[in-house]
Amino acid sequence: MPHSQRKLRQLIDSMKSFQLKPVALMLLSLILLFCSQQFSSSGQATGQKRRTRPAARQRATKPVTNYSKFSHSTRQHQEACKSCHQAPTNNWQKAAQDYPSQDPFPDVADFPGHDSCVRCHRAQFFKGARPVICGVCHTKISPRDDARASFRNLKAPGEFRIEFPHDKHQDVIAALRRRPNSFDFTPRSLVKLAHPPDEKVSKYNNCEICHAAATKAAVAPATGWIDAYVPPTDTFKVSPETHASCFNCHWNKQAPTRNDCAGCHKLGAPELHTRISMKFRHDGGGEKKNHVGECATCHINITKAATLRGLKPDVPIFPSCATSSCHQKVLNEELNNYNKAPGAFKCTKCHTTDVGNKKPPNSHAMALLG
Amino acid sequence: MTRTLARQITWSILGLTLFSSLAVIGPSQTQTPAAADLRGVIRLRVRIGSGEGAKAKGLARKRFFLIKGSLEENKSLMQSIEQQPLLSRDCYYRGLGASEALIHWLRESDCESIYCREVEAKDVEGAGAVREFQEAIAAGEKDFGSRELARKWLTVNLSDQIRDGYYRRRQDELQTLLKHAEQVSKATVLSVMTDLNGTAFFTDLEPGTYVVSNILATEIFGNSASFWNCEVKVKPGDLATEKPFLISNPGNKDPRDVRNIKCRSVDKPLPACPTANANSGN
Repeated sequence: MPHSQRKLRQLIDSMKSFQLKPVALMLLSLILLFCSQQFSSSGQATGQKRRTRPAARQRATKPVTNYSKFSHSTRQHQEACKSCHQAPTNNWQKAAQDYPSQDPFPDVADFPGHDSCVRCHRAQFFKGARPVICGVCHTKISPRDDARASFRNLKAPGEFRIEFPHDKHQDVIAALRRRPNSFDFTPRSLVKLAHPPDEKVSKYNNCEICHAAATKAAVAPATGWIDAYVPPTDTFKVSPETHASCFNCHWNKQAPTRNDCAGCHKLGAPELHTRISMKFRHDGGGEKKNHVGECATCHINITKAATLRGLKPDVPIFPSCATSSCHQKVLNEELNNYNKAPGAFKCTKCHTTDVGNKKPPNSHAMALLG
Repeated sequence: MTRTLARQITWSILGLTLFSSLAVIGPSQTQTPAAADLRGVIRLRVRIGSGEGAKAKGLARKRFFLIKGSLEENKSLMQSIEQQPLLSRDCYYRGLGASEALIHWLRESDCESIYCREVEAKDVEGAGAVREFQEAIAAGEKDFGSRELARKWLTVNLSDQIRDGYYRRRQDELQTLLKHAEQVSKATVLSVMTDLNGTAFFTDLEPGTYVVSNILATEIFGNSASFWNCEVKVKPGDLATEKPFLISNPGNKDPRDVRNIKCRSVDKPLPACPTANANSGN
């Protein structure tokens, strides 16, 4: 074999010996690519499919209806609300005792009458001496006892979420707050009223008609308070717990009215909102123990929110918090400390450690530039 | 030598393969931060003044809109906005035959409807009492058996027109113009309301040219109507920390503002009220 041919053979052999490695690595890359598509950002497999049971086996185990539990999500229970619920119920004046801080108001304060159940559930209604279906409303199943469970059980898991358009409501509430004894509408009366004590004199319809300061201590989460930090009562604002804030306008003419429950109540789990700055106190900040400004000064997107779904606090750190006279110094200190020991230092002036151990978002650093 | 050459070729192929794989995998896992930075914010500030020597003040609780495109691109919309018929709140209620006390009550807090603020005891009794409120309370007392509840729920016993007819009339006009705006700009029109300082934020904006507009004329100082149609450019990465986009009226001579004003309104005097009942059909 001539020398040149030998060289060529050696080259071909050496190429062959290395061909396996790139092929294997290319295969590995393809597997990685495939995996990346199969897993969502939360790390859950999206492509997985559960094994389905054979249809015959499903038919064999037909679920037994539990008539002691009522659910609005049952298809047959989704007629017009007023086909069962009366508004107001006859007991509204008596029921108001449950809310002593509120004046009595006409309300839906009791379960629907027997007719609402019997028209479909006659068989269950008269089944045995103690029909289980009675337990939906009654605490004691006896023809001689009409005691019922509390109609509005706030501890029970909610079946409905509330649909509330902040944008529409924001449009019709107070256009301008005035100082007491100032009734003229001159340029002089267009003053900046940043300090709430003045507005206490006249009750203007602002966000506080629904979101007043909390008067009761917050209930601890099931897992306990993080860092054992118990937020003071003035940390939170409340949201309406009764119909009083709605029926005062939406009673008879202004839609959705009292009989159009579905105008506000939509089937589905209620929206839960997470507090990011657990140590922020709505009604407790500053020397005056009150945050100046109004809600929309910080919640910058609330006036355009048409729904509660996905609603975020949308509080820009600048200028809401970090303006020079308020929290700029604290923010500066915290960021400096974090930058000295990223990952080890926790921002706990405003946050509990579950949030404070994370890398501060860019908005915090940018706020200092403002 | 040939073995070395072959190795070099192989490692080059290998490196190229891995690089291209990572380039594909990377974006599929997370959104690139650069994409988020391409959005911008407009920090709108609206301040009005009433001439030389007067301090300018923030225009509180007024709705402003952001329309995609330049003034030129939205020319037909701008014409529609400026040609809209003006009817003041006072004239609307006078046209309904409302009492002067009610008109005064609405004017006190620049209210467009009765929902604006709570009707207090002094508004239904004594010299300043509002006749419409008294009638509604009397009806409510019959329904609910409580004068106090009737006062708190007063709006449920007012006629639709008195309660919020002016607001609904303006909303109808607004919806027509918004529809027009979205047709012309081929984009959703965003809206915000100013806070007590006259500040509002438009957030998460695509870079480009926009028009900030109040679309419906805003009554200021009780005697004129202001139209704001101001062009603004949003650059990638504009933040709320940027200087505010200050807009004002021609009357703002406040030296603190003058140099920073980016745009001034076109003001028109409010027309005299039409003859009574001309607008009662609304």
